[in-house]
Amino acid sequence: MAGSSLTSEQRQRYARHLALTEIGPAGQQRLMRARVLVVGVGALGSPVALYLAAAGVGTLGLADHDRVRLSNLQRQVIHSMEGLDQSKVDGAARTVSALNPDVTVETFAETVNAHNAMELLGAFDVIVDGTDSFAARYLLSDAAYLLRKPLVHGSIFRIEGQVTVFIPGRGCYRCLYPEPPPPGAIEESEQVGVLAALPGIVGTIQAAETIKLITGVGDGLVNRVLLHDTMAMTFHEVRYRRNRACPVCGDRPTVHQLADDAVRGVGVAR
Amino acid sequence: MNDARHHRQRILAEVGEAGQQRLERASVAIVGLGGLGSPVALYLAAAGVGRLGLIDDQPVERSNLNRQILFEEGDLGHPKVDAAARRLRALDSSLRLDARQENVRASNVEAVVAEYDLVVDGTDSFETKFLLNDAAVLLHKPLVHGAVLQWGGQVTTVLPDEPCLRCLFGGPPDPDDIQTCEEAGIIGSATGVIGSVMAEEALKVLLKAGTPLSGRIFQHDGLAGESRVTSFPRDPDCPVCSPRALITDLARYEEQVSPRGQVLV
Repeated sequence: MAGSSLTSEQRQRYARHLALTEIGPAGQQRLMRARVLVVGVGALGSPVALYLAAAGVGTLGLADHDRVRLSNLQRQVIHSMEGLDQSKVDGAARTVSALNPDVTVETFAETVNAHNAMELLGAFDVIVDGTDSFAARYLLSDAAYLLRKPLVHGSIFRIEGQVTVFIPGRGCYRCLYPEPPPPGAIEESEQVGVLAALPGIVGTIQAAETIKLITGVGDGLVNRVLLHDTMAMTFHEVRYRRNRACPVCGDRPTVHQLADDAVRGVGVAR
Repeated sequence: MNDARHHRQRILAEVGEAGQQRLERASVAIVGLGGLGSPVALYLAAAGVGRLGLIDDQPVERSNLNRQILFEEGDLGHPKVDAAARRLRALDSSLRLDARQENVRASNVEAVVAEYDLVVDGTDSFETKFLLNDAAVLLHKPLVHGAVLQWGGQVTTVLPDEPCLRCLFGGPPDPDDIQTCEEAGIIGSATGVIGSVMAEEALKVLLKAGTPLSGRIFQHDGLAGESRVTSFPRDPDCPVCSPRALITDLARYEEQVSPRGQVLV
């Protein structure tokens, strides 16, 4: 695709991408045509949305039911005091539009659940998981597989973080974690500490993986999960495969639609 | 200070109330407000580092906006230090911000480095990177070094009496071997990964928590999706941090080091 279809302002804005062999004008056009849904506009969603907007992703869907709280501002750098007590998606949309007016933002100020997930995810090319609960992770993984959409997973807990990419047919969150956490397991929440920049490390790697999926370049974190310990500042990779017995993406799947309880049959207490 | 804002850090065992107060009393010089300085400034401000030196002599340009998430379209043409200060105040108006619209050079490096507890190198020139390394070593200040190109980059933390950048590289590469971001390109997310690791390192050093990348270098290849950390020793003949140092005095820096960062003496 010719670079001439970019405006002169776009050629300036994306000059560093146009100079990259792996992106160039054709890759930039792919980014500008892409539709990415970021579920959860908090610690992880902040850097994901900022860097995807900066990269020129054409349409960013932002889904989060929450409002901005003061305690969010310690790490959720897409928000500011101006957005306090207001919807996170609206605050994030303002920051994204100010950074790059080329980006079309679609906001969903709602919880993603079994009733709306298929319709919501179905309208996008790539899904990014910026949520903070096991239930939401299983739900997004199931929905993304059933829709055959790639899912960029990231999560943090205390001083650790992880990133992996689920490509339909090559493994899902249930293949990686077939055993759900025990009932009453501690999840990422207001009661769990986090150092400001850890979600930045995890979220920016998620953004990079998303850009690679859209442009079709590089080696994605597929069938491997990157594990990061931020206090030790170490990075390890663990390989995993599709589980042939996976109830969702295995050889004889038993789950064909989303159920009310996202972790149905696997008993996670919420 | 504000209890609710930093609640999630206070309840982290590695930070606690004492650690949060330590951050609030700390000062950090962020040299270069570009691709690296953007996440560094945002995360250090969010974390509650009490005083930030914002040091950059450039205005915001449109070609910055593919990666410099500290800025927005409305900042085009304005000094980066002013735009950065506005954004950080919108996040937390209680921060003390020193907007210094200048470039770090041999003649002013001591004044900049000596004034802060820690220096973060977000610059894009090798000469400045080695100048900051040399100043940090001679003034016994911790330095968080980072560099990026295309899809990846590196981070190392230089602590007093520990291995420094010259132990690892000697000096800057030959100018003919250097590709600039303008020529070779850069993806924003790479600056985000490297800058976020730099911010986390700065916080750990200020908190005296965890194990910083001292004597270790983090290398990230975003295209391959590979991240590794490698150890490196102190060079017994290091030109700046060994007993046989040739770079000894910032006041005589221009006699001892070439404008390209090579040792002259």
